[in-house]
Amino acid sequence: MKWARLKSPWVLHFNSGACNACDIEVVALLTPRYDVERFGILLEPSPRHADILLTTGVVTRQCADRLKRIYEQMPEPKFVIAIGACACSGGVFEGNYNVIGGVDKVIPVDVYIPGCPPKPEAIIDGVVKLLKSIEGGEQSGKR
Amino acid sequence: MASADKILKALSDSLGKRIIQTRTLQPGKSYIQVQTGAHKDAVRIVLQEDNEAGVSAITGVDLGETIELMYHIRTCDTIITIGAEVPKKDAKIESITDIFPGANFHEREVSDLFGVTFEGHPNPKRLILPEDWPENVFPLRKEVSVANIPSKIGNFGVSKDEKHVSSEERLVNIVLGPQHPALIEPEKFSLRVDGEIVREVEPRIGYVHRGIEKAAESRTYLQDIYLVERICGICNACHAACFCQTVEAIMGVSVPPRARYLRTIILELNRIHSHMLLLGHAGLEIGYETLFHYMWRDRELIMDIMEALTGNRVIASFITIGGVRRDLKEEDVPKIKAELTKLKERLSFYKNLFESDSTLKIRTRNVGVLSKQDALKLGVVGPVARGSGVNMDVRRDEPYAAYNEIPFNVITYDEGDSWARLMVRLDEVGESVNIIQYALDHLPTGPYRVRVPRTVPTGEAIGRVEAPRGELFYYVKSNGTAYPERVKVRTPTFANILSFVHIAEGGNVADVPASFVSLDPCFSCTDR
Repeated sequence: MKWARLKSPWVLHFNSGACNACDIEVVALLTPRYDVERFGILLEPSPRHADILLTTGVVTRQCADRLKRIYEQMPEPKFVIAIGACACSGGVFEGNYNVIGGVDKVIPVDVYIPGCPPKPEAIIDGVVKLLKSIEGGEQSGKR
Repeated sequence: MASADKILKALSDSLGKRIIQTRTLQPGKSYIQVQTGAHKDAVRIVLQEDNEAGVSAITGVDLGETIELMYHIRTCDTIITIGAEVPKKDAKIESITDIFPGANFHEREVSDLFGVTFEGHPNPKRLILPEDWPENVFPLRKEVSVANIPSKIGNFGVSKDEKHVSSEERLVNIVLGPQHPALIEPEKFSLRVDGEIVREVEPRIGYVHRGIEKAAESRTYLQDIYLVERICGICNACHAACFCQTVEAIMGVSVPPRARYLRTIILELNRIHSHMLLLGHAGLEIGYETLFHYMWRDRELIMDIMEALTGNRVIASFITIGGVRRDLKEEDVPKIKAELTKLKERLSFYKNLFESDSTLKIRTRNVGVLSKQDALKLGVVGPVARGSGVNMDVRRDEPYAAYNEIPFNVITYDEGDSWARLMVRLDEVGESVNIIQYALDHLPTGPYRVRVPRTVPTGEAIGRVEAPRGELFYYVKSNGTAYPERVKVRTPTFANILSFVHIAEGGNVADVPASFVSLDPCFSCTDR
């Protein structure tokens, strides 16, 4: 089981209020230059098939419920990677009227990748670190 | 087509005493304040005088006792602003959607953020704020402080909007989003479907609404540059350029020639990467994944240039008030030119592909047709308008940066279908490469920025930039301090989103993603 999980971590991408900068870097990951499919990483359209949730952007009031619901729909064990300064802590939008804050205000986060936006290399590094920690016995998100 | 002077004369002839005052915001941009109630006649007269005019944006400004509404109307070469005031306690004004349908979302946005009721609006529902937003709290009014808005943490649950709406017989509701594989960003579209045919589309935006216009009021002008860049990561340089231009217009600062050329280069790099991103994404949506991977591979050439020029791949943080933040290194110029030559070779391959490939033909030709009349009526901008034969481009109509010195063509196609909109973008990438090559060859020497004071004198100004998705509009009002009084942003995608309803209705369900993506939606822009 663990072997299978390590060799084919399927990811779901959800933007809960990002400016698209991190999003296009996430998409750049899938395209020929960075090509994370080398690690067996496949972008999945449905939360029910995903092992890892890649979240980008600050959490807006309107998106908070949806983000939580998507997380709940994912099967256990599940992992969350927060990509970008906004997803980590709120970034420049911290304190705005329609903004709740970083992703960890709503769901548990395993890996934080800061940057505005982080370079694709940094995102790959974060994913690989997560895979290593799963290999070392990490069960699921910190609660 | 009519000149601004002729329109102003027609306005003063017909409205007479109903005009309260006329003043100039900045050279060439007039502001006509009319009595409440006369605004609709004023808008009608401008639209009649210039048959390609359209309402670009509606700005609300809290003046204390009253709320000022400004109708910014785009004519062939400038912006004419019609202003009217409504009392805050009884904020009501007649809707103009019946004379200009494209004003629909602009009015709903002002209604959400300022609490102005537009009488006669066909669908006055909440557009941009969350469903559980407290009643009678209008965030852009000055008395509303961000700290006093009740927090929502810990109060999760299914909101009423996502429960299934009872549908009429035969019609089936299909909800697209907020999390949907065809949309990279969260936004919701309810489609009412009769068999395979879409009968009705109800967009619900606001999932990415971060309240940037309010946040800009509590940050300094310098901090605001970084804030507005993050309205949209894709066209970030356009936001920075537009904001800086507007502030420079209030300050009366003129930017050194080298900075104007460097701005042009970064703006065009932005356009190329945005268009290529979209063309690749369009390939993905029509089930042509090879095209997606090819496009994104070639797009990396531009990302490398961006990184060499600005130090970052995506968010440039390159443009600042008074110029640009870094100079272009002389040794980078040959490298940039070599990469552009490589890209140009690839473009002829793509051009051939888009014109001859059968998959692209089946999925995009005669799909999602928007006629020229509808494009004008809905006030669409940018490649969407140019794909329907509307010949407009802010770079030519009202040149900024160094566009008045650089030759380029405005690309238009008359077909109005998804294919035409994609072709406009593909050809524009070629034009942008030419512009950058010309700018590199003719780069003036001298300083790349001038130092400006932190405080901005009292005043107001309008700025326009041709972003990759069309006309980007900024209105900035200054109160003489280091903090702006009001920053209004009307993004091109906000003007274009209404056209999706128009082109999807009556079409096939399977064509929805393809025709949608041809509009180049960007919800972080749309919602701000």
